[in-house]
Amino acid sequence: MKQREFRRILRQAVYVPILLLLLLAVFFIAQLRRFSNAVNDLHRADLITNSIIDLQKLILDQETGMRGYELTGDPAMLAPYTAGMQPIQQNFADLGSLLSGNSAQEQRLTTLSQRYQLWLSRARRIVANDKTLINNPEADEENKILMDNIRSDAHQMLVTQEKQREEQFLRETPYVTKADLLTTLLAAFIIGLIVAIFTRQRLRTVSRSYDATLAEVEQHTREAHESRQRFKTTLESIGDGVIACDMRGRVQFMNAIAASLTGWAAEDATGRPLTEVFHIIHEETREPAENPVKVVQRLKKVVGLANHTALVSRDGREYVIDDSAAPILGPDGKMTGIVLVFHDVTEQRRTEAALIAGEKLAVAGRLAASIAHEIHNPLDSVSNLLFLLKEEKDPARRDEYLTMAEQELARTMQISRTMLSLYRESKAPVTVDLKDLIEGVMLLLERRIAMQQIDMAYEFVEPCTVEGFPAEIRQVVTNVLVNAIEAAGMKGRIRIRLRSAPAEEFRGAGAMIEVADSGPGIQNGDAHRLFRPFFTTKGEKGTGLGLWVSMGIVQKHGGSIRLSNCGEAQYTGACASIYLPSKTLAGLDHPASPVA
Amino acid sequence: MSKPFILCVDDEELGLQIRRAVLERAGYSVRTALNGPEGLDAFSSEPIDLVVLDYSMPGMHGGDVALEMRRLRPTVPIILLSAYVNLPTEVTRIVDCSMLKGDGPELLLSKIQEFLSERAGGMSHGGGRE
Repeated sequence: MKQREFRRILRQAVYVPILLLLLLAVFFIAQLRRFSNAVNDLHRADLITNSIIDLQKLILDQETGMRGYELTGDPAMLAPYTAGMQPIQQNFADLGSLLSGNSAQEQRLTTLSQRYQLWLSRARRIVANDKTLINNPEADEENKILMDNIRSDAHQMLVTQEKQREEQFLRETPYVTKADLLTTLLAAFIIGLIVAIFTRQRLRTVSRSYDATLAEVEQHTREAHESRQRFKTTLESIGDGVIACDMRGRVQFMNAIAASLTGWAAEDATGRPLTEVFHIIHEETREPAENPVKVVQRLKKVVGLANHTALVSRDGREYVIDDSAAPILGPDGKMTGIVLVFHDVTEQRRTEAALIAGEKLAVAGRLAASIAHEIHNPLDSVSNLLFLLKEEKDPARRDEYLTMAEQELARTMQISRTMLSLYRESKAPVTVDLKDLIEGVMLLLERRIAMQQIDMAYEFVEPCTVEGFPAEIRQVVTNVLVNAIEAAGMKGRIRIRLRSAPAEEFRGAGAMIEVADSGPGIQNGDAHRLFRPFFTTKGEKGTGLGLWVSMGIVQKHGGSIRLSNCGEAQYTGACASIYLPSKTLAGLDHPASPVA
Repeated sequence: MSKPFILCVDDEELGLQIRRAVLERAGYSVRTALNGPEGLDAFSSEPIDLVVLDYSMPGMHGGDVALEMRRLRPTVPIILLSAYVNLPTEVTRIVDCSMLKGDGPELLLSKIQEFLSERAGGMSHGGGRE
């Protein structure tokens, strides 16, 4: 069940009972008000009754007092008469307001009040000793009739009030006690039932949903566990060392290969800082290498380790490693850790070194053959001239032969000197004039070029110098040129272009050597394979190492080498572009490997 | 008696002229050519008795020239004279003898004489250094 639905049900389970109870409360309040009104009405009726009885009694007392005074003439007899004055007025006023709205009773009260006022005015005259009224039987009779009427009015009012109270009681009280009670109980029961059924139904839905969710969670947990086990087994089985760290750079996981290379048992390494477990240094300078975790945290992307990184294991053994570090990203894309993958390349390095040495020997062999050829020609001439000189008697001829022999020997010396200067090795990068370097290489190759009658074109736009190891750069140029000569074939064309390369986004200023030929070009898909060791398109004639070694040399200098097809009308074949930076990266960390 | 006629093919002009002088001093008639095609022209048009052939030459190397000469006149001895060591066997197989430049004129002359004598058989010739 979705969380939204779950919340909706919860809301219903809370709000619906509250709403129903509110309705019930409103109903109860209405009923209470009706009860309250009924009680108030009865209370009011009682007040009226009491007030009428009081009024009746006060008027009687007043009359008794007044008659006592009339008979005895004793003013003390007037006490009830005087005392009743104020309360009687008050009673009339109270009754007036209590009976408001009850017109029949109001009418009776008015009549009563008028008769009382008439009686009172006669009583006042008696109290004031009006001789016409005192002890006048006729006047007494009139007073008596007046008072009887007052009593009759009051009685009538009382009877009416009692009757009305009885009616009110009968109208309101039985209804409240039976029908309302029954209705209230029924309503309460129905509402309670609705709340119970509704809540039960909702809770059952929630319960079912909870069960389903629980089953789903269990399923997910089981799958996650299986997946975790599968990944763990995979990581344990792969041939590379794997170490996973948290964001603080502490080891969280380590596979068997990593354990073997670092010398740390996985359980000992867990929780320790990576730098303690994965101790890496520069192979040659012995300086500690930068912590890959820091690099990944800084760059937030996959990074490779610097070349010549050596891992020092816990027991002091060293392995040359190839490594990459990558961020582990959470579902929200945030980095949650770093994973290191590395493998031992010590053996691979040894093999590569052997292959490079082999290629250097091959280069040396080709070089020796070239030198021998260049020297054997003048040597042959000199030995022939010496042979002629032995038997030559003519001084002029002898001089001529001697001069020629000297010339040939000078030529030999020049060749020897050129070769030595070309292949003198330097231990540190020096400034290399690329035009001179290319011309030196051409000197060695010119015979071969002449044999194939290759049409050479040179575009040396400007003087270009770079920093580097001349012998190594020469090896690269020779390799590329020999490839071009072989590709161009008989009567082919080669163009050598040398130009300065301005700084671009990802590289500094430097020089570009481009060698284009009119050969068959590069087959689709070969461009990258050509740089792999033992890949050759020359069959038995090639070692398949030339471009691989060349690439290593160029990369060591911080440059690049690229092969493409020229696609020009005259140069239909391959084009090798060698970029070399003005300031080489090669240098202090390792000496140049000499060409034999 | 006519002198044996030797054809020298080499693109090294100075070396070629000196070799010519040596051979002429030894009593041979010499015809020189500076490249393969020119050498083949001379070989086919003139009564050449022996060829001294350079290997590395522009355009057409000594191996190809020797092959063509063998096709034209298989019996004429060919001495391949080269500045290279370890020439391909398919080339050295064609010729009668393969020599290194710098081995010295004495060796070359003795080889020439040897081949000419073999070729002449019973024929009388004026070869030799006498």
